[in-house]
Amino acid sequence: MKIPGEPFRLPEEKQPAFRRAKRLEWITILFMLTIIAAISLTMGASQTMKAMWTEDVLSLIPPVAFLIGTRYFDKPPDEEFPYGYRRAVMIAFLAAAVALLGFGLYIFIDSVVKLLMAEAPTIQTVELFGRRVWLGWLMIAALVYSVVPPFILGRMKQPLARELHEKALSTDANINKGDWLSGLAGVLGILGIAYGYWWADSVAAGVISFEIIKDGVGDLRNSVAQLMNKRPSDVESKEPDPVPDKVREELERLDWVEKARVRLREDGDVLTGEAFVVPRDESNLLDRLKQASDLANSLDWRLHDVNIVAVRSIE
Amino acid sequence: MLTRRLLFIVLIVCVCVAGCSDLPRDPKETLRHAQGGRLRVGLVEHPPWVIRTDGEPAGAEVELVRRFAAELGATPVWHWGGEQQHMEALKHYQLDLVVGGMTDETPWGKYVGLTSPYFEERIKVGVPRSMQPPASVKGTQVAVRSGEAVASDLERKGAAPVRVDDLSQANLPVAAPDWQLEQMGLTPAEIELRTGKHVWAAPPGENGFIKRLDEFLYRHSSEIKGLLQQEVAKR
Repeated sequence: MKIPGEPFRLPEEKQPAFRRAKRLEWITILFMLTIIAAISLTMGASQTMKAMWTEDVLSLIPPVAFLIGTRYFDKPPDEEFPYGYRRAVMIAFLAAAVALLGFGLYIFIDSVVKLLMAEAPTIQTVELFGRRVWLGWLMIAALVYSVVPPFILGRMKQPLARELHEKALSTDANINKGDWLSGLAGVLGILGIAYGYWWADSVAAGVISFEIIKDGVGDLRNSVAQLMNKRPSDVESKEPDPVPDKVREELERLDWVEKARVRLREDGDVLTGEAFVVPRDESNLLDRLKQASDLANSLDWRLHDVNIVAVRSIE
Repeated sequence: MLTRRLLFIVLIVCVCVAGCSDLPRDPKETLRHAQGGRLRVGLVEHPPWVIRTDGEPAGAEVELVRRFAAELGATPVWHWGGEQQHMEALKHYQLDLVVGGMTDETPWGKYVGLTSPYFEERIKVGVPRSMQPPASVKGTQVAVRSGEAVASDLERKGAAPVRVDDLSQANLPVAAPDWQLEQMGLTPAEIELRTGKHVWAAPPGENGFIKRLDEFLYRHSSEIKGLLQQEVAKR
């Protein structure tokens, strides 16, 4: 049985940006892996480093989800999944958001407890080229390294996210920003320990965990809203997207349409849904509905599979 | 731009800090108080590391603590006691150092500041020079000092541990630390039963003091084996 509906194809002029986004995400994963390795090697007993490690491991999820999602979202609808695979990425995002929030809360509580118990972090020395070197210096080196790649990559992703209307990419860019800010907070925490301010470590970890919680709450809200088919919104400003209104206006401009109402949802970057029209003139209705459907789907590159439903009245 | 300026400041601070040699510092100034003053040392009996005698304490670690104190110009003040008692005192900064043949597996590591491991002790099975060291201990009788954990490692490897009080009288393959097997003139087999990475315990978070201990122990790490063998030979 042929399933109705065609798979969405990204327009030709968006393809270079899409390929660049994918390449950036691969580069992000590679750099994050080296950062995670550097942090693991120097972690020791520091709360700050524990928080940074968690944040860096979790920031792998968005690029991985993006790459996996974009690998499958072109798959045509089949009998098992008649609406296609475009929403797969959103599920990955919900999971990532829950993980982010959970880890953030854990580190925050852990740091507060350590502060209240006045637990001073012990950082030992390691052998390096026949000398004992305080591990704290190596932690700082690892943290400084962890600041640079996300700083640059995050800035490269934001304009692409805007061009592709890709919220996954935008979230990832935001997390990169959190990553490098946390890295700097971490450096200050370890420097604090070096100067004998034992509390600096837990305070820095608290600041980092706050950043993680903020990301987690934001992502959770976004992903739940998208799963609940919230009205489409802009990638960055979160303002209502003007496209649904534009579709309604254009449909009402057709001479045989008396009234139109449009309801759209976001499947990742794609806008899909229904347009209800009240025909003034019911002759040739099937041809006219086809005309309306072609019009609705052509108004913006993101519109896909917008169904036109003829109704007797609205309200 | 704010972000770039922030990065720049952090880099400058890092360069300045790397040049300071008195870092890290102790939150509670343990190192400064000990220098030219008293070093409060908790001793937990554990021959040959720490040996209780009628007079002055002895043992390989006690000897090392004496040298460390001399290096700081400090007078060691010895406190005998149990491990829990000492660790609690250490946690609350009432002692400066606790020694007693501890390894980095000590559950107290969460509450106090451990040094980096300074000596690795491997417990192996040794046989007389005339014998070929066995490839496996399965089914063989191996002498082990009674009341020590290593007997369970032997059982896990399928050996029959024979618990004795004096290993040198056993006339059997012997399970003991590598330095002791060497002293007894035995050839160690390749089978490793257990490793202990030895550490000292300092107050939590006293990173300057712990760094000084690490440096001292690192310099003396080649002498540990000799010190242990000396202590065993004396008795």
